Amino acid sequence: MARPQIKEISFEIDGREVRAPEGTMLVDAAKSGDVEIPYFCYEPKLGQPVGACRMCLVEIEGMPKLQTSCSTPVKDGMVINTTSDRVKSAQNAIVEFLLINHPLDCPVCDKGGECPLQDISYGWGGGKSRFIEPKRHFRKPLELSPLVAIDRERCILCYRCVRFSQEVAEDYQLVFLERGDHTYVGTHDGRPYVGPFSGNILDLCPVGALTSTAYRFRARPWDVEEAGSLCTLCPSQCNVQLTIRDDSKVLRAFARDNPEVDDGWLCDKGRFGYQAIHSEERLRAPMVRDGSMLREAPWDHALEQAAAALTRAGAGTAALAGGATTNEEAFLLGHLMREALGSPHLDARAGGALDPQQARVLARPDLSARVSDIDHADVILVVDTELVEEAPILDLRVRKAARRNNAKVVTLTGRPSSLDPNATAAVRFAPGAAEAALSALAAELGSGRATGSRLHSRAGCEPGAIGAAAEVLRAAGDVVVLWGERISDGARGASAVDALLAVAGALGIVDRPESGLIEVPAATNARGMREAGVAPGLAPGLTDAPEAGMPAAEIAGALGAGELSALILLHEDPLATHPERRRWQTALDTAATVIAFTDFVTTALRDYATVIFPAESYAEKEGTLTHPDGRLQRVRQAIGHQGQVRPEWSVLAELAGRCGARPDVRSAPQVTQKLFATVGFLDGLTLDEIGGKGVRWQDRDAASNLPRAELPEGTLEVPPELPEGMRLGTVPSLWAGTTVEHAPSLRFLAPVQRAELAPADAHRLGVGSGDEVEVAAGGQRLRATVALRQAMQPGSVFLVSGTADNNATALTNGVPRTVEITKTAGAVNGAGPPAAAPAAPGPGAQPPPV
Amino acid sequence: MPEPHTPIDDVITVQRGPEPGGLGGAYRAFGATLRGLRTTLGRVAEKPPTYQYPEEKTPVYPRFRGRHKLQRFEDTGLEKCVGCSLCVAACPAECIRVVAAENTPDNQVSAGERYAAVYEINMTRCIFCGYCEVACPFDAITMGNDYEMADYHRSDLIFTKEMLLADAIEKTPLRREGE
Ligand code: SF4
Ligand code: SF4
Ligand code: FES
Repeated sequence: MARPQIKEISFEIDGREVRAPEGTMLVDAAKSGDVEIPYFCYEPKLGQPVGACRMCLVEIEGMPKLQTSCSTPVKDGMVINTTSDRVKSAQNAIVEFLLINHPLDCPVCDKGGECPLQDISYGWGGGKSRFIEPKRHFRKPLELSPLVAIDRERCILCYRCVRFSQEVAEDYQLVFLERGDHTYVGTHDGRPYVGPFSGNILDLCPVGALTSTAYRFRARPWDVEEAGSLCTLCPSQCNVQLTIRDDSKVLRAFARDNPEVDDGWLCDKGRFGYQAIHSEERLRAPMVRDGSMLREAPWDHALEQAAAALTRAGAGTAALAGGATTNEEAFLLGHLMREALGSPHLDARAGGALDPQQARVLARPDLSARVSDIDHADVILVVDTELVEEAPILDLRVRKAARRNNAKVVTLTGRPSSLDPNATAAVRFAPGAAEAALSALAAELGSGRATGSRLHSRAGCEPGAIGAAAEVLRAAGDVVVLWGERISDGARGASAVDALLAVAGALGIVDRPESGLIEVPAATNARGMREAGVAPGLAPGLTDAPEAGMPAAEIAGALGAGELSALILLHEDPLATHPERRRWQTALDTAATVIAFTDFVTTALRDYATVIFPAESYAEKEGTLTHPDGRLQRVRQAIGHQGQVRPEWSVLAELAGRCGARPDVRSAPQVTQKLFATVGFLDGLTLDEIGGKGVRWQDRDAASNLPRAELPEGTLEVPPELPEGMRLGTVPSLWAGTTVEHAPSLRFLAPVQRAELAPADAHRLGVGSGDEVEVAAGGQRLRATVALRQAMQPGSVFLVSGTADNNATALTNGVPRTVEITKTAGAVNGAGPPAAAPAAPGPGAQPPPV
Repeated sequence: MPEPHTPIDDVITVQRGPEPGGLGGAYRAFGATLRGLRTTLGRVAEKPPTYQYPEEKTPVYPRFRGRHKLQRFEDTGLEKCVGCSLCVAACPAECIRVVAAENTPDNQVSAGERYAAVYEINMTRCIFCGYCEVACPFDAITMGNDYEMADYHRSDLIFTKEMLLADAIEKTPLRREGE
C-alpha cells in the first residue's frame, strides 16, 4: 500500500480563499486560513471523529443547519462561515451547556493555566450562565489507577480517554458508564485502569478530569519551563517534553509529537520514569572501593584510581556498554579502549555480537524501513519480539496500521504475542528456534537458499502454520519486518540472521522503497553504539576493526580464566541483562578491576565494582542517539547536573587522557562533530540538521559511504533439531530495571518472576495458575509463579528476564535449552517472592484474555 | 488632518521680577523673607509635627499597602490559600514563590484539595503594588498596613508562610479621618 497522494483543493472561509489538502476535516483545513475553530473532542490520532462535544459548529453555505467541522471533510468550493451570529450564539450556548455541571474550581484544579476548557470558555463563551440548579456531584478525587486521578465532576464527556483505550491502546478498559447526565468515565468493574499506555489519557483530557498523581499540584504552567528531549528508557526513543521547575527538577514528561517516531504517544515508563532522576538512592558522587566497602571519593581520586587500574590492565581490559549510552559516549569508549588501552574487546549486545558483514547488510538503506512505513505497509511481520515489552510505541504503531489502514499482521514468535488478536496469521515456534522458523518461512516463500527437510518440525511449529503465514506474505506488496535482536543470540545467531536475510530476499524488500526491516534491540541505543564502534569486530562507521575483539560471552570466560583483568561497565550490569549469570558472577569476582558508570548501585556493582562513576540521567545529558530505524535524534540537557555528577563524555575523555591518549575534545558538540567526521555515512551531519525531529542517515547523500555489503546468496545452514523436554524462552519486561524500581509511581509495576506454561504442560506437571514452581537447568534454579497461557506452544516455558529477584538470566546460556520444572512445597525461604505475591498488573504480568 | 504647526504658539513669555538695585531690589531682598517669617511666626505656638520614630510610629492611611498577610478562616482556622499560584502569575516583580501540595485527611491545611506547602514573598523585590491581593480568588493574601520590615540580611527578608500567617509584632497605627 503506497502512501496516498493527496490533492489540494480550495475553499472559502470567512470571506477568504484558502487552499488545503482534500478530505481534511474543516477544523484542520481552517488553520490554513489562519482561522481557529474551537474544539474539544476532535483528535485525529484517536481515529474517526465522534462529534461528541459540538464545540466546533460552523455554518456551511447550502446546508440548513450548523455542522460539526471536526467531522465534515473539506470539499472544493465550500463556503464556510465561522463568525456569523448564528455560529457565535451556538458557541456561547455550547460553552454554557458544558459548564452546567462543571465545578469551575480552577484555582484548585491542576489543569488551570493549560486548560482548553478555560481557554475556550474565555475565548468563545458568553461569560454568563443561567443555570441555578444544583450541579451533579461525585466523590473526588478518586484513583482511576495508581497513576491517574479522576475528578468526574470536571469531565465534559468528550470521549477522548475512552477512545484512546478502545481504539489506540486497544485495552478496552475505559468505558462510559450510565447514560444521559449520569454518564461517567470508568472501568467495567471499577478495577484500576492499568495498562502500559494509560498515562496518555492525561495528555488527551481537555479538562482537569484526569490528572497525574505524580504531577498533581506540583506546579503551574507559569512556574515551569519546558525542555524538549528524548526518552532513553527503551529503543522506541520517543520524543518527550520535560517540565522543569527551578532549573533543577523534572516534574513531568509528556509527549512531543513526532509522527516519524512516536505518533505523539508515550508509554507509562517514559511518562513517569523521570522520577528516578530525583530518587534519593541515585548515585551523585564517585565511589571508590576501600577494602570491602565502597566509599564516596573526590573526583580526582576516583579518576586517578580508575586510570591507574586501567593502565595496569592495558590490553587486558574489556568493556560492555548498554542502555542509553549515547553515540558520543560509545565513540569515546571506543577511543579509550582501542587508542588508549589497545584493547579490542568491547561489546554492546548481551546475546552475542552481530557478524560484521551482516551488520553492514542490515544497515543498507534499501533494506531498512522507517517507522512511518509501518503505517502504510500491506503486511507487518513481527519476528520473535514482544513489542509491548520491548519497544511499546511500535506496538501501538502496528495496531494503528492494522486498525486504520487494514494492514495485515503476521506474528512469528516463540511466545504468544499480544498482537495475535490483530494478526492474520500467528505462528508459534519453540523458544530459541527462530532460525529454523525463518528458514522454513524462506523455503515457503520460494527462496532457493533454504535447505533441509522438515524445517517446521525443527522449528517446533504446527505443520501448515508457516505455509499460512507465507500465503499472506506472498500476496503482499510492502512488507515491514520487525525482528527481535534475540534471534541473533547465541552460537547460531549468524545463521538465524542469514535466514532472516533469506526471508527479506524472498520478499523482494530491496526493490521496494517502502518495505524494510527494523531491528528491535534490547538496548535503547543498540544501533547507535554499533555504528559508533562499540562492537568487537567493528570500528566506527561499520568498517572492519583492525583487530577483532571478543564478544560479551567470551569476555565473561576470559575474565573468569584470568586472560582479561579489567572490565568497564558503561550503563550495564551483566548480572541483570546477560545470559549465564553464573559465569558472569565468576568473571566479576575474578576481575581485578571493575569500573562502572551507573546511576544506581545494583547488588552486582556493590559487590564487585572497584570504582563507580555517577552516570548522568537523560535529563542532564547532551548527545545523540540513533533510533533502530536509523534516525539520529538529540538528547538535550534540561536540568543542571545533580550533586557532583559530571558529563560522562568528559569523564571518558579524561580517563582516556590519563591513560595516555587524550582525545582532542572540549565540549559535547565537539565530540559529536568528531564522531560524524569519523563515521563515513554520517559525514557532514550537524546538530542543527538533526534539530528537534531527528534525521535518518539513510535519507542523506552520505549514506552512500556505507561500506558495500551484498545480500548473502549461498544456501542456508540446516538448523539443528530441537532438544527434547521443556524448552526455555525468556521475555524481557518493560517494567524490569532500576528506573522502575526507583520511580515511586511505577514501583507497583515491577515484575516478579513467573513461569508461563501451556495448560497441557501445567496439567502434566500437576501445577495450576498461581502455584509456585522451581525451574532448574544446568545446576541453577529459580522460583517462579505459574501463569497459564492458552496460546502457548506445549513444550515451552517462558520466564521474565531482568527481574530484581529470580532473574531468568540465571538459566539462560544462549542456546535453546531445556529446564526441569517442579512444584515447590511449603513456604518460601526469603530467596524468592512470597508464594502469595500478587502478579504485578499490566500486560507483562497478566496474560491477555484468550 | 492635524492642524499645521504654528511655531508662534510655542513662545512662552517668561515673567521676571524687578531688576536688582533700587526699590525693587530691596523688595526682592526682604519681601519674600518677611512673607516666610509670617508663616513661621504664625505656627510658633503649635507643638512640633515630628514623630519620635521608632518610639512613636507614623500612622498610615487604612488603604496603605504594607506587609502582606495570609489569612485563615476564622471558624475553622484552615488556611484560605489553596496554593493556586495566581498571585505568582500576577506579581510583576516575580517575588512570590508557591509550591502546592495535596491535603490529606490527617493533614488538612486548607479548605480545598490543595494547599500551599511553600509560600514565600521576597520582600526585597516586592514593590507593594497589591496585584497579588487582587488576583487571589480566595482573599487569602492581603496587604496589611505594616511597614516595619528592615533587617540586616537579605535572606531574612524572604518572608515564609509562617511569617506571613502571623500578625506583625506591633500594630501600625492608622490615621484618622481628615488627619
Ligand atoms: S475524562 Fe477527560 S478525556 Fe475523558 S471524557 Fe471526560 S473530559 Fe474527556
Ligand atoms: S494566595 Fe491566593 S492567589 Fe496566591 S496561591 Fe494562595 S489562593 Fe492562590
Ligand atoms: S470537536 Fe467537533 S464535536 Fe467535538
